[in-house]
Amino acid sequence: MFTKDRIAKVLAGSAAAALLTCGASASHADEIIKLGLSIPLSGAAANWGKGSEWLCNAAAKEVADAGGVKVGGKVYNYKCVAYDNKYNAAEGTKVAQTLLNRDGIRFIGGSLGTAPVKALQSLSEREGALHFTTAWGSSIKGPKFPLTFTIMNTVNEISFPLTRYVKEANPSIKTVSLLNPNDATGQETEALARKAWTAAGVQVISSDWYDRGTTEFQPIASKMAAAKADVIDLASTPPADSGVVFKELKVLGWKGVQAVQVGTGAEGIIATGGAAVDGTYMGAAMVFDSALTTPKQKKLNDAAKAAIGESLNSVQISFYDSVMALKAAMEASQSIDPKLVAAALPTVKFESFYGVASGFGGKDVYGTPQQILIPVIVTQIKNGKLTEVRRIVSEEMKQRK
Amino acid sequence: MQTALQLLFTALQIGSIYILFSLGLTLIFGVMKIVNFAHGQFFTLSALLVSVLVPWFAHHDVPLLPAYLLAAVIAVAVSVALGMLTYQFGFRFFQRDLSGSFILSIGLVLLLEGAYLHYFGGAVRTVPPIIAGDVSILGVTLTSQRLLLGLAAIVATGALYWILMVTQFGKAMRAVAIDHEAAMLQGIPFKRIAFQGFAVATLLGAVAGALLAPISVISPTLGADYLIKGFIAVIIGGLGSVPGAIIGSLFIALVESIGGFYFDPSIANLTIFILVMLVLMVRPHGLLGNR
Amino acid sequence: MHKIFHNQQVFLTLTLALLSLGSLFLRDAYSINLAIWMALAALCAASLRFVTLIGELNFAIAAFYGIGAYGAGAALTVYNIPFLPALLLGGVIAALVSLVFGYVTLKTKGPYFLLIGFAFTEVMRILYARSDWLGGNSGMVGIFPPSAFGSYFPFFAIGLCSVMILALYLIERSSFGKVLTAIRDNDNVVLSVGINVHMAKVVCFGIGSFVAGIGGSLHGFTNNVISPGDFGFLLSTFALAYLKVGGENSPFGPMLGAIVLLALGSVAMGMGAGEHIFYGAAIVIAVLLFPNGLVGIFSWGYKKLVLDVRSKGEALHESRPAAKPLHKKEQVNG
Repeated sequence: MFTKDRIAKVLAGSAAAALLTCGASASHADEIIKLGLSIPLSGAAANWGKGSEWLCNAAAKEVADAGGVKVGGKVYNYKCVAYDNKYNAAEGTKVAQTLLNRDGIRFIGGSLGTAPVKALQSLSEREGALHFTTAWGSSIKGPKFPLTFTIMNTVNEISFPLTRYVKEANPSIKTVSLLNPNDATGQETEALARKAWTAAGVQVISSDWYDRGTTEFQPIASKMAAAKADVIDLASTPPADSGVVFKELKVLGWKGVQAVQVGTGAEGIIATGGAAVDGTYMGAAMVFDSALTTPKQKKLNDAAKAAIGESLNSVQISFYDSVMALKAAMEASQSIDPKLVAAALPTVKFESFYGVASGFGGKDVYGTPQQILIPVIVTQIKNGKLTEVRRIVSEEMKQRK
Repeated sequence: MQTALQLLFTALQIGSIYILFSLGLTLIFGVMKIVNFAHGQFFTLSALLVSVLVPWFAHHDVPLLPAYLLAAVIAVAVSVALGMLTYQFGFRFFQRDLSGSFILSIGLVLLLEGAYLHYFGGAVRTVPPIIAGDVSILGVTLTSQRLLLGLAAIVATGALYWILMVTQFGKAMRAVAIDHEAAMLQGIPFKRIAFQGFAVATLLGAVAGALLAPISVISPTLGADYLIKGFIAVIIGGLGSVPGAIIGSLFIALVESIGGFYFDPSIANLTIFILVMLVLMVRPHGLLGNR
Repeated sequence: MHKIFHNQQVFLTLTLALLSLGSLFLRDAYSINLAIWMALAALCAASLRFVTLIGELNFAIAAFYGIGAYGAGAALTVYNIPFLPALLLGGVIAALVSLVFGYVTLKTKGPYFLLIGFAFTEVMRILYARSDWLGGNSGMVGIFPPSAFGSYFPFFAIGLCSVMILALYLIERSSFGKVLTAIRDNDNVVLSVGINVHMAKVVCFGIGSFVAGIGGSLHGFTNNVISPGDFGFLLSTFALAYLKVGGENSPFGPMLGAIVLLALGSVAMGMGAGEHIFYGAAIVIAVLLFPNGLVGIFSWGYKKLVLDVRSKGEALHESRPAAKPLHKKEQVNG
């Protein structure tokens, strides 16, 4: 009796019923402020997105446990709403429309991926929504985009301090080879990495590109090994790929100083590179088992690891910081109007994940204070473990203290 | 000279995985005249299972080599089972329907990729090398693991050749590939051949995945890159042709190796795409295709 | 009333006109954008369907959609060409490229043509990504229709899509269209009659690509931001999905498939990673269970509900003078 026709009929009927019951969700707009997230939840960057959403939820819970956000005599709590932007502008636009127009959200807790961020920004600035982002690139910030704030250290903040430190620690280095993935992040990073190394007195003798999704790194490793540079900087190459490249380089016999300037996490690189990645410097990674680690950081990281399978990285951490910054700004301005909250952000102080109270700055670089002020943490892999070697605090941060 | 040898060896290593992958694709097309985009998913599943099982066995104090072999067998078996499921409930009804089978395979790709992401998580995994250490041949260093992979590919290709040329089953498959109606007239059990052909093809893909696990970074999206390169290899060589698939795979591997060395991987990829278009313009059925 | 159903041309025109006018009544920004995306998706599916007239699956449609988008976008933001010429330019560039591409590649057939279209799409995507003047991987921003359009832009976009879908249908019905389907069935016969088969195929391909190019231009103006990743092979895949799910044998198929799948996609938005599973499952189920697509279900439903009931009613009507007991039994069983 289960003919194709019958099954088809039943399915069509139930699908119709399901669609009809998917009505508009009830909104408790008074007590809950929704934070929109535009992140990749599928494809190669899926884990970054998952971790980001997890941290946003963790931060929202922490705020609720501490009594919520007190504005104008009312108590508000946050709810994170995340949609998959698939790392491109078309999906990014769909997510933007859904968050801002269908769901009526006025605060974007975080966005990931330059192209979808630009799509989101195009809409959020026009509609007056506050937008926290992890996207790099100076073109994202500035007086033309008063409601956009960057919540992690970008290559602008990391590059110069890190290259200076590496040169200090290894005075004999003279040449460097760069490798970057062929996408927006890679292109921005490469331009700045070049300048930074040159400023530190190290000559850039080659700079190569590979497409994300590549799994065969032997040819490019051969090319880089043949160039015989003193330093190989994998810049914005993701941790897992970086490990494979260093492993191939070791097989080919290359020896030298290793760096992944804006490398975000140690686990991926150690997992794929093994012993070959010892000594690698990274500028955007976080250590969770050193003397400087606070109990709160360790607790959050352990829980995150159980949920997503790897330690937190600085991209995901920014989704926690944005919630804390938002809370502080709302309470300082005693308002839930995005524009008034944005006006309060540059001078407000709050407790970021890194434990240090900070605000937003960067006026000299970008034109308006839209860059979060957090320390640059230089780390190095020693004997298979990530260790912190230097915590660099910018001049602006020192002045704020 | 040293560089040339190094590049050649790199090309052979890369090519060996492409060969295993594209042999499966060309076999499916030859026997069923369909383009199966979901082939990469069986490959990925096999690699994922190996990367999950080997650490689990190691945790239970099983020595590395037996752990790997056992994991590989289980992984291949599960992948082939999944493949046969998709055949039985899906592809079987779409033989010779190019657009229908294609869109079905795309739907499967979305479905399976989402499922893998959900069950295995997005974090990348690795498998410790089964045979550690490096080997030096003619002055060129390569890891023993990759050497093993290359040898395995040669063995698999040889086995497939033998099956196709010598066994009754292989001859029947070739007959069906050339003209399935004539084959039916000759009394060849065409449906059973299609079923078995699909099984062999999926087996090849799963074996490729299990062999790749120790030398690569395993994530749920592993299949995508290999899928595209595999299809290009098959088109260049000619759909349905086994020697064509081998030539196509080696050709792509060479371009990747040489292009990646003298230019960079991104340009190498671009070159591969442009080359496949040029080949098709000159020989519309691929180098060795015969339709 | 059913005469309208039977005169396909009238029904199609009416449907398209109603849908376009209906968009004027949408008030919230999200629904308006969703409506435009549905119209663009239907246009892509219709273009794909048009090329199936010559029996080929045009997987390069994403490439031409992208050429249209980047063409119009660059014209506007880089060369400051005004809106309407920029829009048309997108389509024209796509058409020109497609004529060259079609001329050299339409010698291949079937799976080869499919895969060469696939390769071309990826080549174009990589080229956009490597071109800094097009914004590179970060994307191109600032593609806005002139403010004079105001809130009528959605109606313009959807209306333009409707007009083009109708135009494709009319070409399909014309004698040129008949030549194309003849080529699909047996191109040797057509050759023997003295028609230049190759050029006919190229023209068909060019028309389909021009339409896709205009669609791409509209996409740029609707979303305001475009990136290379928008125009990869997945776009072609989804166009095929809309066509298959809607029903490739009917001119209504593309619209139906686009509307249903995009609506489902909107619902699935909140599922995170589950969205892929949901969409994939929807496509698999649709392909396996509804070989004629949703249009097939509707016409089956129409037949069962309307025609069968009417014919049963007529049978009853005619047989009334017959013996009563028989008549009663019929009524009980009917």
